[in-house]
Parts: sequence; C-alpha cells; structure tokens
Amino acid sequence: MAKQLKICLAASAGGHTSQLLKLSRSWDGHRTFCVTTTQVLADQLRKFGSVYVVGESNHQHPLKVLVVLIRCIKIVLREKPDVVISTGASAGCLMCLLGKLLGARVIWIDSITNIDRISLSGRMVRHIADLFLVQWPHLAQKYSNVEYLGAVI
Amino acid sequence: MIFLTVGTQFPFDRLVRAVDEAFDNGLFDEEIFAQIGQTSYKPRNFDSTISLEKNLFDEHVRKASSVISHAGVGTITLALDNQKPLLVMPRLKIYGEVVNDHQVAIAQKFEELGHILVAYQEEHLPKKIIELKSFIPRKRHIQTEAIANRIAKFLQSLANSQ
Repeated sequence: MAKQLKICLAASAGGHTSQLLKLSRSWDGHRTFCVTTTQVLADQLRKFGSVYVVGESNHQHPLKVLVVLIRCIKIVLREKPDVVISTGASAGCLMCLLGKLLGARVIWIDSITNIDRISLSGRMVRHIADLFLVQWPHLAQKYSNVEYLGAVI
Repeated sequence: MIFLTVGTQFPFDRLVRAVDEAFDNGLFDEEIFAQIGQTSYKPRNFDSTISLEKNLFDEHVRKASSVISHAGVGTITLALDNQKPLLVMPRLKIYGEVVNDHQVAIAQKFEELGHILVAYQEEHLPKKIIELKSFIPRKRHIQTEAIANRIAKFLQSLANSQ
C-alpha cells in the first residue's frame, strides 16, 4: 500500500497563499501542515492541519530573516515533512531549503506576479527543487529544469 | 455600475482623483461604486467604501458592467474570470503607492495578451475610459486542474516508492 506522505504547505499570506490553495486537490489523502507569515489567513489554513505563523521577512531585513529562519528550523525538526510545497516568498524558500537538507522533496510553484524573471526566492530554490512550475510560458524557455503547464489563477 | 477598486495596502489617490475628474468631464454614462482603501482623496461623484469582505468584493465584480482598478494580479484575474472589461492603472513606486514597480510589468503583460486596458499615467485615463465601453477582453485559459494533477501524480509516485 502506498505510504501517506507528510506535506508542508508553505506560503506568505496574501496572493501566495491563495495561489497555493487553488491547488488543494493535489494533496488530497496526504497529511499536511502549514507555514504562513501572518495571522490573516491562519483560520483558512486550519483545515490543512497545524498552522505555524513565522512572521514576515525579506532580504532587506536580515535580522527578521534570522528570526524566521530559527522558527523554520524548529518546525522542520519537529514535523520532518516528506515534501515541501511552496508558492513563495522568503518563508516558503526557507522551508524548501531546510526541508531539502533533511531529505524532503521540494515542489515550487512560482507566483504569477513574476513576469520578467523567476522570483528571487524561486531562483534560490530552483536548483534543489524536484518539481518547479512557472505560470508564464516565456519563463519556462528562459530557465532549465522549469515546467510550464499554464496559470494557476 | 462600474466598480472602481484600488486594494487596501496603500493609498492610491491618483487613480481615484483621475476617475472622479473624468466623471466631472462627463466620460461616464453609468454610476460608479468605489473601494478606496487608505486613499485620502474623497470622490465627489460616487459612493465609496474603505474595504469590502471577500464575498462582497467578488459580488461587486460579478455585478459590474466593467471594472477600473490598480494592477493587482488578484483583481486582474478575478475580473477576467468573470469576463469583465477591465482598465487598470499601475501603482508606481515613485509616488509611494507600492514598494516596487511590479504592477507595471503585470499591466504590460496582460495588456500585450489582449486581456486588459492600461492607463500608465493619469493623463491616459480619459482615452482609455472611452475605449473601455467597447472593449472585449480576450479570454484567459487557466490550467489549475492540469497543475493540480501534475502535483498529485508527483506525490503519488513518491508515496508508491516509499
């Protein structure tokens, strides 16, 4: 019998989360938990298991990134996911990198808002991702190891 | 009714004022209802609210004959899902309306694909408002199902191998 996977759903609050939740059918039958950045969508995420709120961070505020990093390390060690699925941004990126270190597979769906190039977070995750999807056809031509199937929203 | 929406994160006085002035100049033959967020400018020609709950927001888009908005991708995709003619004005960083100029890139891309009309500056707005009356947006084909299937298959084969 196929094993039930433990999946980490990691996305910043707002558009990143709404794009990820559009794909909720895909993890049906597996166990999930969520990592988000603010309380805003925490209630909505609750039906996908425990919700960890790690706070907002971006590369312009290194100290905040450090705080979020430490929180993410604790979550990964506690939950030990088999798979991390993320639409970004920086918190999702951290969960992907940390998950990978502990042997998880990584699925990245780059947000539709990234038009000219893949997001900074996406570029950091691209080389370690096991499945990397973009939502614009020209981005799939520009980068290797990147798939385009269409737009999520 | 035309639905004007600018999101809630930052003010967008330029767009609300420009639409109000276009109304003064008789460019609209319909009523407008606006969601203006933190915008400090108060429109004289139409009713407005600070924010709308998701359900109400969706309903306003559904009921509108056309939509005018900032170039937020959530609003753009929602309007297109409902096949509404949409005119956007991107928020610009130089005016403190947004943290970077990603809305310009989004507007350009959706405009290039024939999905929306764009006024890049206030002075382009009157001309675009007139165009909006006869604008038929090109239909978008989203692939949520195919993407969800791709991920489900990936997870299934991983589960089978463990």
